[in-house]
Amino acid sequence: MKKTGFSDNANAFDALMDAAVDAIIIIDRIGAIQRFNQAAQLMFGYSEQEILGSNIKRLMPEPHSGQHDGFLDTYSKTQQASIIGTGREVAGLKKDGKTFPMFLSVGEIQQKSGNRFVGIIKDLSEVREARDKAREMEEQLLHADRLVVLGELTAGIAHEINQPLTAIAAYADAGRNLIEREGQIPLEDIHSICERIAEQSRRAAEVVQRLRKLVRSGVVSKARYNINQIIRNTLLLFEYEVKRTNTELLFFPAKSLQDLYVDEIHIQQIMVNLVKNSLDAISLSGRKDGQIKIRVKKVASDVLISVTDNGPGVAARHRKRLFESFFTTKPTGVGLGLSICKNIAGAHGGTLNFSQPRKGGSRFTLSLPLEFIG
Amino acid sequence: MVCIVDDDEAIRESLRLLLYAGGLRSCVYESADAFLKDDKPPVFDCMLLDIRMPGTDGLELFRILRRKHLLYPVIFITGHGDIPLAVSAIKHGAFDFLTKPFRDGELLDKVRSAIDQHRSSRKKLQKLHELQARVDACTPRERDVMRLLAEGLANKGIAEALGISPRTVEIHRAHVMNKMAADSLPALVRMIATLEPEKN
Repeated sequence: MKKTGFSDNANAFDALMDAAVDAIIIIDRIGAIQRFNQAAQLMFGYSEQEILGSNIKRLMPEPHSGQHDGFLDTYSKTQQASIIGTGREVAGLKKDGKTFPMFLSVGEIQQKSGNRFVGIIKDLSEVREARDKAREMEEQLLHADRLVVLGELTAGIAHEINQPLTAIAAYADAGRNLIEREGQIPLEDIHSICERIAEQSRRAAEVVQRLRKLVRSGVVSKARYNINQIIRNTLLLFEYEVKRTNTELLFFPAKSLQDLYVDEIHIQQIMVNLVKNSLDAISLSGRKDGQIKIRVKKVASDVLISVTDNGPGVAARHRKRLFESFFTTKPTGVGLGLSICKNIAGAHGGTLNFSQPRKGGSRFTLSLPLEFIG
Repeated sequence: MVCIVDDDEAIRESLRLLLYAGGLRSCVYESADAFLKDDKPPVFDCMLLDIRMPGTDGLELFRILRRKHLLYPVIFITGHGDIPLAVSAIKHGAFDFLTKPFRDGELLDKVRSAIDQHRSSRKKLQKLHELQARVDACTPRERDVMRLLAEGLANKGIAEALGISPRTVEIHRAHVMNKMAADSLPALVRMIATLEPEKN
């Protein structure tokens, strides 16, 4: 009776192991593999005979395999293992040498003959691939938006580069004329002319540098940045446009603001979109005293960055749809700018909102948490 | 002397040096407003004016100058996008425009021809002023005689037209020739034609 019961239990256990979609691996306290179900065999490419008795490290790529003995050791001494009961994403190593992302949860089997560990593993390759693909597409969209906005600023950017080039050409012509006219000119004059030419070349290079960052494609990573500085750099892109439209652009940076953990390019992208929208609104309204105020301030545990203009504002019936994709009121707009900006804000743990200032015009406020690790 | 109005310091300074290398002195202003605020700007023969500037822009300054009858030649400095603006400015009497960056020698050539033109028109103007002053020195009766002389009438005809004796006409005529500093009748006729070109 008792024997039958045991046998029934064992059969049930075997059936459970082999019916499981997830890989299930049982190891003893030194890491030797004792059970390796069918899903595990499919996932890792080893048959049960091949792998039984091997150390679990055989299924882990470096450097994890090197650390594993240490984990088991620490656990047997302290009974503290962060992985038990929670699970985590780790890398697995297949028989053919390929590594893959997997989700591992670990349980402990307490027995008189010595405790064992059971690992349940989900292959995350497909999930990860889909996530990467989505992220890549999102990046492409962000990149396309940056290109569109920059395309609209081309005239201004060309001007920013043309100015130093004009000065360089004039300095060089002047130098040559002086030499031709006087036969020779004092060395210190040549020195000063060369210095100015070099200075203007660097000025042109800085413009190109600013652009290069924004047109760069691909995933960019977050780091600690000074928000005031990011905004100041972004506003430089608008120098010409602001001058051309005779708009007043006022920037009020926050005093003593700690660096924020953000993606610099994405914050620039939001600012470029918002300021460009304000300029478009003002120039469409035809007013001659256009003004855009950009204010950064710390409020509790957030940083608020507001862009306020004295343009015609947003019609009440449009306000609800402002952040929808493909919603636009511009004659040649695509309607992606603000929806992209809102997504970027979300990816930083923040928000982007519209409000109507009392005196008219419109205000967009980007709110970013001071501390957010995303 | 050339007057440079441009908000970009590097452009101002490089233009000043380029003009200096061409033997021309210049004064500089960083904005149209700064120029307008200057009570005693130096006398100059040509203005290099940036078309786009914050505050009062180049075109606006040009209009203000014209309204004040300040007629020195203005050469606009433009970027590529502003050529239509510059062309319309020329239609309104600007001397020329230059597109940034300038071609070799282009700036000095245009500035020099603007200065030449301004000087010769200034000379003409000066001459007109002088002639006008001489005419003003004549009495009304002498001016009548002068007008009829210019119309080709002889002393006798003038005497008849004005109802005075030929002898009196002769005396007036001598005074006219003297006051106008004309050494012959054709010279006098030319002077009057210069003063009143619309009658020709």
